[in-house]
Amino acid sequence: MLVAGANAGDDLAFEELFNRYRRHVAYTASRFFARREQIEEIIQDTFTKAYFALDSYHGTHEKSFKAWLTQIAVNSSYDQLRRARRRPEQALSDLNDTESHEIALQLRSAGRDIESALVSRDLAVKLLARLSAEDRLVLTLLDVEGFSVAEIAEMTSWSVSKVKVRAHRARAHLRRVLRRYL
Amino acid sequence: MANRQTDEQLDRAGRLVLRSATGSEAETEAAATSPFVFTRMRAAIAEEERRRNETGGWLSMFLVARRAVPAMALVAVLAAILTVWSAQLSAPSAPVQSDEEALFGTPAAGVEQTVLASRNGPSKDEVFNIVVDRNYGEGAK
Repeated sequence: MLVAGANAGDDLAFEELFNRYRRHVAYTASRFFARREQIEEIIQDTFTKAYFALDSYHGTHEKSFKAWLTQIAVNSSYDQLRRARRRPEQALSDLNDTESHEIALQLRSAGRDIESALVSRDLAVKLLARLSAEDRLVLTLLDVEGFSVAEIAEMTSWSVSKVKVRAHRARAHLRRVLRRYL
Repeated sequence: MANRQTDEQLDRAGRLVLRSATGSEAETEAAATSPFVFTRMRAAIAEEERRRNETGGWLSMFLVARRAVPAMALVAVLAAILTVWSAQLSAPSAPVQSDEEALFGTPAAGVEQTVLASRNGPSKDEVFNIVVDRNYGEGAK
């Protein structure tokens, strides 16, 4: 109903959709980005894309609209991750000796009780900046969000085998990155 | 066995790093409730609509031009056929070469030769005799 109204040009209906789903989009963005400005950028980008793609949405249930919006948010996050890797300031993501020592300590002290442990957010972000956007995307969706391979394939428009191969390579890459700290 | 254990340990550490790099609840809530996001999004939508309208004009012109390509090709082919056909109509028929021409070559331009060298006219020898006789007559005068 709201979607149909927004699609027909009803600005109030679109505003209602925005208010209803902005938290969900913010949550999806926060899986990939820690800073508030980055999350805001993803919210803005997601709803802008959704606005122009409303006529391609053919679902009828609220749940499917949420899934559709999640797909747009994930793809916006992926685009943002790729753009971030192309920026020159990415070189600043290298960890210095003190930071390397600190993250090694944090990872070792987490031990087996890793589910309740956390490492410093800034250090974790710097460490993950060494992964490609594809690696980061697939590992976050699999290991943080708990999506299945099929769900990720649908979300990213990749084939199931591509998701599996990408996940395997991403995991191997992350192991190589972490090996020096453990 | 040891390798497998190490991989598992590394995977657990990887999950920890991935989880730690996510935004905090406070940051996420602040971003979601920011009063400026909706305004910025409306501005982005307006900007995108303006851009689409601008490029839409060029795009429609391109589509019309693309539809006109077959018609233009047909007109070009018809024009070529007409040109060739009219050229064939106006072209003079090729002169038939006489036996004399084959033997003595193409005669030089001149009223006498043109008249005398016609297909049913006198032979080269006869022409030669006529000219000699005329010159002789003029000389005798």
